Amino acid sequence: MIEALLQLLLNGAASGGVYALVALGYTLVFSVLGVINFAQGALFSVGGYLTFLLMGGKIGVNGALPGWGLPGGLPFWLALLLAAVGSGLVGLLVERVAFAPLRRRNAEPLLALITSLGAGVVLVNLLQLLMGAEGYAFPHGADALGGLPDALVIAGARIRTIQLLLLLISAAAVLALSLWLERSKGGRALRAVAEDATTAQLLGINSEAMVRLAFVLSGALAGLGGGLIGVSVSLPGPYFGIGYGLKGLAVLVLGGLGSVPGAIAGGLLMGLAEALVPSAASGWRDALAFAILFAVLLLRPSGLLGRRTVEKV
Amino acid sequence: MQRRQRGVLRLAALLAAGIGALAWLGRSADPAAKPLPAGPLTLGAAIAFTGNANLYGQDQRMGLTLAERWAQEAGSPARPVRLQLEDGASDEPSAIAAFNLLIRQGVIALMGPTLSQQAFAADPIAQRQGVPVVAPSNTAQGIPEIGHFISRVSAQSSVIAPLSLDEALRRDPSIRRVAVFYAQDDAYSTAEVAIFQKALATRGLTPITVQRTQLADNDFQTPITAALQLQPQLVVLSVQAVAGGNLIRQLRELGYRGQIVVGNGLNTPNIYPICQRWCDGILIAQAYSPELNTPVNRRFQQLFRQAHGDRPPPQITAQAFTAYQVLFEAIQRLQRKGGLTDVTLGQARANLMSELLSGTYATPLGPIGFSPEGEVLQDRFYVAEVRMAPGGRDGRFALVRELQLQESKP
Repeated sequence: MIEALLQLLLNGAASGGVYALVALGYTLVFSVLGVINFAQGALFSVGGYLTFLLMGGKIGVNGALPGWGLPGGLPFWLALLLAAVGSGLVGLLVERVAFAPLRRRNAEPLLALITSLGAGVVLVNLLQLLMGAEGYAFPHGADALGGLPDALVIAGARIRTIQLLLLLISAAAVLALSLWLERSKGGRALRAVAEDATTAQLLGINSEAMVRLAFVLSGALAGLGGGLIGVSVSLPGPYFGIGYGLKGLAVLVLGGLGSVPGAIAGGLLMGLAEALVPSAASGWRDALAFAILFAVLLLRPSGLLGRRTVEKV
Repeated sequence: MQRRQRGVLRLAALLAAGIGALAWLGRSADPAAKPLPAGPLTLGAAIAFTGNANLYGQDQRMGLTLAERWAQEAGSPARPVRLQLEDGASDEPSAIAAFNLLIRQGVIALMGPTLSQQAFAADPIAQRQGVPVVAPSNTAQGIPEIGHFISRVSAQSSVIAPLSLDEALRRDPSIRRVAVFYAQDDAYSTAEVAIFQKALATRGLTPITVQRTQLADNDFQTPITAALQLQPQLVVLSVQAVAGGNLIRQLRELGYRGQIVVGNGLNTPNIYPICQRWCDGILIAQAYSPELNTPVNRRFQQLFRQAHGDRPPPQITAQAFTAYQVLFEAIQRLQRKGGLTDVTLGQARANLMSELLSGTYATPLGPIGFSPEGEVLQDRFYVAEVRMAPGGRDGRFALVRELQLQESKP
């Protein structure tokens, strides 16, 4: 009984870690621009496919270049890192194409929702064109992780190795980002722009560069999440990131818009809530998770750790 | 007062004339009311090129394209046929839109949609407009019952599914503890799991647990953990391909070593890259075997290998080929009988449906026919076991048993 509970808690925490990664990506962009980047789910997919290709995966028969793949293959850790960088660059491209032109014209922020949604749809369709719709699994799943076993037994509970890695890597990424935001010059500059872009500009901070940096980091976090989930449950098709993107959005709202600790807490809460749904009702997992979101927002409209905004009249 | 009455009468007459004109315009725009034009007839196919089901759609596109090539090889037909493909995507509104578009464009018959879930939404539209539909991959119960114009070449799950259970029980007669997994938001899955459960009951087995998942799920660790606590000796899965591949992998990684029986959703080689070495040994009942030694199946395989390399064709590709083939052959017979001469498109569609149902066909699936309701009559079925190659990257459905069911003889 205890073993099963431990297993469920670890699974929930691992899923929650990935949700937190996606939600943090949303948070960074929302903090500096006050808008939500709906292409985040597509960047999640991009990260998954990039990791797969960098590890030496080959394009399937329904792709644009069947059988094509990079010669050799990088170790998982390096592939994951490079895929996160690649997704970050694609995130920057999304900013240049879907956000920057609107910002230059002082367009209604709502329009950026639509352009980012469009950019996301284009990205997913490009992935489908290139990779085909078939599912891809990483070479031998956990074997790709330096010969680690499929599963480990911890306190009597059998846990898939990849789930533990997923939890550890997500936690490390979240911690590193939080420390960077808190302690580094760049992080402080980003927070200053998030607080008030005009004042930050007057203080000599290049707000535009900070916006671009936010998109790179946001894309990298999504890409990291995509690579990790890809190794854990394979790449079921180019659309797989969209679901995680939506879940990340829910976590963003649950934790509190623009709150980094909120995104982490929201992610963990969502992951654990899903894992603890009784198995007889596992088909209603999403419904229960969103019911929690609904209940939290009724009690705390600003989210778990969001700041209540006061409108000055 | 009289002037007012005259005004009302004039308005009523104007309205009646307007309605009449609209009705006439509508009538003239309905392609079914127009005479069937000479020249090639168009077969419309609404299959999933996008969305979650496009994995199946891409296999179906292969089958339809190969069937077109096969038909061209036969020399000049009595009536040429051309194929028009539309994206029916993976959801109900897209399937409806694709059916409507093809019907308006005047196709003689339709193939598709890819999923049973979509068929329940889109087929009634074809039925109302009298357009024959041949479903290449809808296996849920109740599809031909949608109406007279709806038929299928994909044998329903109730015929096939129990065969793989029998094989599992033959291998291990001591099996008593069975765990069942299915996607509760998928018409195919819910229909098939009911059949599996009924088949288990008739064999004296009651599932120790039934785990419900969702169509879009890929992480199954929670339901697997719950099921494995009950120590099942057999696991039965009725889910779609990618989810199924993931489920099998996670089952094995979490320590399950017993037999796995899977439903029709996993009847595609596209599962190999997902579950890799963990696919090895799963049992599946099939309506198609590449090992069937008939001229048409040999030719189908040659065409497939020429186009897609040296691998056996999947069942879903064979079924799509068959859908095209039966319509093509029925059209040729009808043309020779004069059923396509001096008729409207609507009459031609009705004649084609009758002709389709009355024929028997030598197809890659074996000999098939149709019941008066449009249900496929097919008597050859197969139980296969997935055998993965040593690298775990590729595999095949190895034939374990061939069965001939007398009750569904064409």
